[in-house]
Amino acid sequence: MSRRFLTADDVRRASGTTISVDVDTVVTPQALEVARSMGVAITTSAGAYTEPAPDRGPDVDNELLRLSDRPEPVGEDLGGNDGVIVTAVGVNRPGVLGELSAAVGAHDASIRDVSQKTIGDYFHLVLVVEIKASAEFTQLKADLEELGRQKHYVVRVMHERVFRYMHRV
Amino acid sequence: MVELETLDIRTTTLGISLLDCADPDLESTCEKIYTKIVHHGRNLCAVADSIEADYGVPIVNRRIAVTPIAWIAGPSGAEDLTPLAMALDAAAKEVGVDFIAGFSAYVHKGFTRADHALLESVPNALANTDHVCSSFSLASTKAGINMNAVRRFSEIVLETARLTADTGALGCAKLVCFSNVVEDNPFVAGAHVGIGEPETVLNVGVSGPGVVRGALERLGPGADLQSVAEVIKRTAFKITRVGELVGREAARRLQTSFGIVDISLAPTPARGDSISDILELMGVDRTGAPGTTAMLALLTDAVKKGGVMASSNVGGLSGAFIPVSEDEGMIAAVRDGALSLAKLEAMTTVCSVGLDMVAVPGDTSADVIAGIIADEMAIGMVNQKTTAVRIIPVPGKGPNETVEWGGLLGTAIVQDPGKFGCKVMHERGGRIPAPIQSFRN
Repeated sequence: MSRRFLTADDVRRASGTTISVDVDTVVTPQALEVARSMGVAITTSAGAYTEPAPDRGPDVDNELLRLSDRPEPVGEDLGGNDGVIVTAVGVNRPGVLGELSAAVGAHDASIRDVSQKTIGDYFHLVLVVEIKASAEFTQLKADLEELGRQKHYVVRVMHERVFRYMHRV
Repeated sequence: MVELETLDIRTTTLGISLLDCADPDLESTCEKIYTKIVHHGRNLCAVADSIEADYGVPIVNRRIAVTPIAWIAGPSGAEDLTPLAMALDAAAKEVGVDFIAGFSAYVHKGFTRADHALLESVPNALANTDHVCSSFSLASTKAGINMNAVRRFSEIVLETARLTADTGALGCAKLVCFSNVVEDNPFVAGAHVGIGEPETVLNVGVSGPGVVRGALERLGPGADLQSVAEVIKRTAFKITRVGELVGREAARRLQTSFGIVDISLAPTPARGDSISDILELMGVDRTGAPGTTAMLALLTDAVKKGGVMASSNVGGLSGAFIPVSEDEGMIAAVRDGALSLAKLEAMTTVCSVGLDMVAVPGDTSADVIAGIIADEMAIGMVNQKTTAVRIIPVPGKGPNETVEWGGLLGTAIVQDPGKFGCKVMHERGGRIPAPIQSFRN
């Protein structure tokens, strides 16, 4: 069993110019400071000490097996693609749908479904968009929201997963 | 739902066990707890930000809960444990969380040396830190109420108020006592990591009084109470699902255990984010009017039922919070004389926590505060439920005066605890024996 921490006090009490610790021992910032001022090197079997990855405890290995990549049961996703719900609301004028579809197209994403309604002078538009990898989501969201700001309507982008998960027993 | 009705993840709380940080040297203990918290908590805010961006659901607070500090302070034998609070505070600042909770002890049956040192250190610790929250377990159904602890705790509340007088006794807003304490509670000020918890665990608190209010508005006043319960249950179901989605994703990204979703309707001072509004929509003229306790009972129960159906990881406090100063509607109800301290106490018999964020005059005596706490502890003890008291004697303020804390803590109207106290009971000390569990009438 390795020691969990190496403290400044441990460094002060050690003799010699090198302290050898286990790879998963965490050295406190104060201990590193004291070691530096005393000219003591802290090493592990793998060389100079570097902070190990956090040890989250024995439960985690099992937990992470159960926590699948997606909260949905396997098979319910879109074959590697992600669905995104885009809603836009604002004062109606020609070209709004065009602007939004162009922005979606620029992200190599495809529009699966569209619903548009006008009430008086206002439009309300919902797009169901399919994007290739979840990594693109953040950028798509930022770009569409920025587009809304420039063109004076409100755009909201949410993962379809939120809606799907919310309404399923 | 997210934008108009303020559905949000109220908190993602990373629980970190500090049991391996105990050290005979207090300074080394401080070093270890700082290091361990930063080591494990460093990515918490980044992960919360990334989930917020990916899912479009706001995560309002990022917090850390730790093992009750009294449990690791023992080997040092130190009398003043303020340095441990300072180490927690420094770690919270480094990691970027808004609160770190767990400057705590369990004293429902008696004190260890370390428990006692911790309680005595609370006023200084809270006056000298910005992010640290403290909690004490003073009673339980199995142990009864430790009235010696209640007595000393009430004096500590007054001392904390005195030391933080310049901020309207803000220190007391970070100090809470419990009956039947919950060991996986993600909400401050009572969050901590109990003895049965894993090395690190990610707990999520979801809220959404606005969503429930919206659903009830759509239902209208004509529907019967089963329909009201059904609507609240369905809404709680949806909110909890979002909480579970976010909690599991956060645990996966942090590579840690996923603990619980705490589905608690918790108000904020923002307009529309109010439990009081819900109670009034359910049918009482003003919160505090006759009928309020019944409606709160229905609300708390329906929230629990919806939550439990939605997730197998429901835990924490789960129900409805009624922190007076944090709820715009409750502040108004106090101002208008609709909500008295006595009615509030009645409401705590059916809400999920207890007397929360209640301001009383700064010159309230220790025996009155101890009496209020003992009453609340007794409600929890007898009814096998969690109850808590977060009471704030505001120096220099009298009944009906206003105190502004700002931010999440809101505004309070100082409430009058009445002119009678309980001096003899206060001085008796000892322990109220655990209640009998049969003959429940």
